[in-house]
This record gives sequence, structure tokens and C-alpha cells, in this order.
Amino acid sequence: MPVRPPPSPQSQRGLDWFIFFLADVQTGFGPFIAVYLTTQKWTQVEIGIVLSIGGIVGLLGQMPGGAIVDAARSERVVAGYAVAAIGMSALAYALWPIFPVVTAAAILHAMASCVLGPAIAAISLGLVGPLAIGERLGRNARFASLGNGSAAALMGAVGYYVSNRSVFLVTFLLAIPTLIALSRIREREIDIVQAHGAISREVPDEKATSVFNLIRQKPLLIFACAILLLQLANAAMLPIMAGVVTTRSSQWAPVLIAACIIVPQAIVALMSPTVGRKAQAWGRRPILLIGFSALAIRGVLFATVTDPYLLVAVQIFDGITAAVFAVMVPLIVADVAFGSGHFNLALGIVGTATGIGASLSTVLAGYVTDKFGGSVAFLGLAGVAATGLLLILLVMPETRRTTA
Amino acid sequence: MRARWLVAALAVALATSIGAWAQSETSGRSIAQDVPKQDAAKDPKPPASVTVIGARDAHGILGREVRSAADENMGRIVDVIVDRDGMVRAAVIDFGGFLGVGSRKIVVDWRALRFGAIANKSDSISLELTKDQVSKAPEYKEDQPVIVLGAAGSLQPWEFDH
Repeated sequence: MPVRPPPSPQSQRGLDWFIFFLADVQTGFGPFIAVYLTTQKWTQVEIGIVLSIGGIVGLLGQMPGGAIVDAARSERVVAGYAVAAIGMSALAYALWPIFPVVTAAAILHAMASCVLGPAIAAISLGLVGPLAIGERLGRNARFASLGNGSAAALMGAVGYYVSNRSVFLVTFLLAIPTLIALSRIREREIDIVQAHGAISREVPDEKATSVFNLIRQKPLLIFACAILLLQLANAAMLPIMAGVVTTRSSQWAPVLIAACIIVPQAIVALMSPTVGRKAQAWGRRPILLIGFSALAIRGVLFATVTDPYLLVAVQIFDGITAAVFAVMVPLIVADVAFGSGHFNLALGIVGTATGIGASLSTVLAGYVTDKFGGSVAFLGLAGVAATGLLLILLVMPETRRTTA
Repeated sequence: MRARWLVAALAVALATSIGAWAQSETSGRSIAQDVPKQDAAKDPKPPASVTVIGARDAHGILGREVRSAADENMGRIVDVIVDRDGMVRAAVIDFGGFLGVGSRKIVVDWRALRFGAIANKSDSISLELTKDQVSKAPEYKEDQPVIVLGAAGSLQPWEFDH
């Protein structure tokens, strides 16, 4: 196998900024959909239907999305179309807030998101290869989190000072810098074989490259279960906590909730490159254990701490968990699936586990909160996180590669 | 052979059900037609009455912003609650939170709302409650007794049968 030169700084920076702007385009307008449609005199039932359709498509589309990226000749082109699709759907929300158009836009947005996650991981893997991927994924997580933070600030300001509708127009406009950044990544520096998690072989190896072989990989299945538990414990924590804060401190509630969202983002931006490096130095298992421990501790603290200002400090643990898994999900999937040629499909499998865990989380925790109160719900979520910790400790093998 | 029987049986079943449906449809229609016929014999049905309200006197309120007397943002009206007599009892407002996280649907007494400035689309409805009073309210859940938050001193439990 010929040794490829490392990717140029231009491509690396192109990917940085692509991820930064994409965070604005992809997640920026999500929180405004319900409020915007309410101002357009939509009923809560209709809004619920549209949001659920988007959620279901986003869940079912994970594996097909990964398979599309695996089959693609150019990850860049696929990503470009997906960004354009999201831009158009934002425009559709702004211009025609009627049921069929908004439903179509929600479906388009969800499908594009299913493709974009794997496409970014694939471009990263194609650029730097399986040995330097940890560091690159750390950098990805940093820019995604900076992008999310500035998106929340920008969209919040636009929504407050201009109008909810203009949030969607700004999203549409931000698709342009996103596409420019994407075009700065040099196509020829992306090793397309490597991006799919394949190895160029002299003789095709039917056994190693079959999909069935991939889904029989024990570490992948264990990791998918662990991620399901992670999301089951994590997804409902912030919403329930925000509900508690709203009832306790009315005047400062929006500011406190904003702080609870921003603190973890800042931690991710600071820590994720370190996570990427340490994952290579220490191995994957210790990092995963840190991520799950932080989540369990957060659940216990949310159940016991009552001071709303201390709750913001507890969100530091959310940042640790988020930084760990933003890097570790694509990293471990790359470890396990490299050589199979189905890296992105494997990401889709883990993505499906993420979606199932997250949607179950809000339903179950919401039910427990109604019946037994917030503290019991938080302890239950901490228990789920502890189960995930045990799963990693007892069954999950180390997946780090030291040689190609 | 068996398949053919099955198809035949299906066809018969389909035909009878369509027949039955058509029959019920026509009988339903005939009843509906009988009533106006009797009316028409006496005098033609009067046209629907028309009331004209000035554009500045009344307006839809779904999605309208609610503000407190101290001009705090109290959320938006997302639903209106009506009792069995058709009386408007309360409004559901989506209150609090930041970027969609931590907001709750709470119910406020219709009499605690003031609609003085309703004419302009950008005008808000004012609520005689403060953020502190509203923040303690329980979340609105369908099919459960509704807890209505009234203006100070007028909070009374709503009577319900079940």
C-alpha cells in the first residue's frame, strides 16, 4: 500500500469550516419550528404530527443514509446535495408554512441529516486515514460545538429582534458559506476507498467485505447497545431539568436554561481534541468509562442538588459526556468497521441505536416524572447510565489499532 | 380450483357489502332529503344570517403573544378551552423556556386576559399575572382535570364530573 501524503492544510481548514457552518444550517432552526408554526396559527396537533414525521424519518433513514454514503463515488458531492436540500427546506418553511410543504420540508431535512453525519465522518477518514482519525474527530467535535453555540446565539438574536420567520431565511443564506467551505476540501486528497472503510486488496475478500460479517461483529453490537443506554439516560435529562428550573426560578429561568445549553458546548469545544489524542494514547475503554461515569454522576447530582445556579455547574459533566461521545462514536465505529468497506453503514447502525434510545428516553422519563417526580426520574436515568458503564467495563473489548 | 372458489366468494362478499353500503347511503340520503322537502312545502329555507365585525374589533388569537402587566414575555396562546355550555373558560399558553427547552403548557383563566390591543397582528394580549405566579403552575395535560390559573385571589378549582 503506497503511503499517501498527509492532507493539505487547506483541506483540513475547509472541513473545519464546513462543519462549523453546517451546525448552523442543520440544527440552527430546529428549536424555532414549533414557535414559528404556532405564530402561523398551526394547532399543536399539526405541529406534533410534523415533528414526529421528521423524527421517524430521521430514525429510519440512518442505515440507508450510511449505505448511500458507502456507495457514493464522491462524499463531497453527496454532502453538497444534502446541504442544498436543507437550505431549500428552510426556505420552504419561511415561504409556504402550509401543511404539505412543511411536511415535505421536514422529511427532506431529516433525510439530508441522515446522509450528512456519515458523510462528514467519511470525508475525515478519507482525508487522514484510520491512524490519525482520533485527532481529526476531536477537531470535528470542536468545530461542530463552536458552530452549534454560535448558531444558537445568532438564531436566538434573529428570532428575538427580527422575527421567527427570518430565522429560516438566515439558515437558507448560511447554506452558501457552508457550500463554499465544502468546495475548499480538495477532492483528490480524499481517499475514497479509505472513506468507505475499505482496504484496497489485490484479491477481493468476499468474507471480510460482506454486510453480514459486519453485523456479526460483536464489538459493534455491544457498542450500539451501550450507545442506546447512553441516549436512554442522557436525552431526557436536560429537558426535565429545564422544567424543574422553570418552576423554581421564574425570572432567571431563560438565562439559566441558556447557560445549561452553552456550558456543555463550551466544554466540548475545549476538550474534544484532547479526547481524540487521549483515545489514541490510553485506548478507547478508559475514555468510554469516563463518559458514562460523568453521566451517572450528573443524574445523581440533578436528583439531589436544588439550587438552580449549582445546576448550571453540574452541566460541566454533560460537557464531558458530550465531548467523549462526539469523538468516540465515529472513532470506535472506524476501529471496528475498517476493512469491511461499510464504515458508514456501521455508523448508521449506531445512529439508529442513538435515535431509539433518545426517543424512548423522553417518553419513559416523562412518564416517571409525572408519576413519581423529578428526583426519581433522575436517579432512574443515573441507573441506566451505570448499566452502560458496567456493559463497557465487563463486555466491551479494546478496539484501538496501533498498526494499519 | 380452490383459488377460483375463493375469488368467487370474495366477489360475492364484495358485491353484497357494496350493495348494503349503497342501500344505507341512499336511505340516509332519503331521510336527509325528506326534512328540507317538508320545510320547502311551507316556506323556503332562509339564508344564513350574516354579521359583519369591523377588522379592528375582532381577531383570531391562536399563536398570539401574551405579555404580563410588567411587559414580561409570557409565551403564546396555543389553545382555547371551552366547557359543555360553549362558554370559553380558559386559554392554554406555551410558557417559559429557552429555544424550546423547558417550556410548558399552562392554563390561565379567560377573565385574566385582556384583549384591548387585538386589532394589529403584532399586538399582544396582556395577562393579569406575573411570571412568578405563572411559573408554579402545573403542566396542562389533556384528559386530566384542568387546573386554571386565575388573576390574584380568584383561583378556584374547576368543577368536573370524572
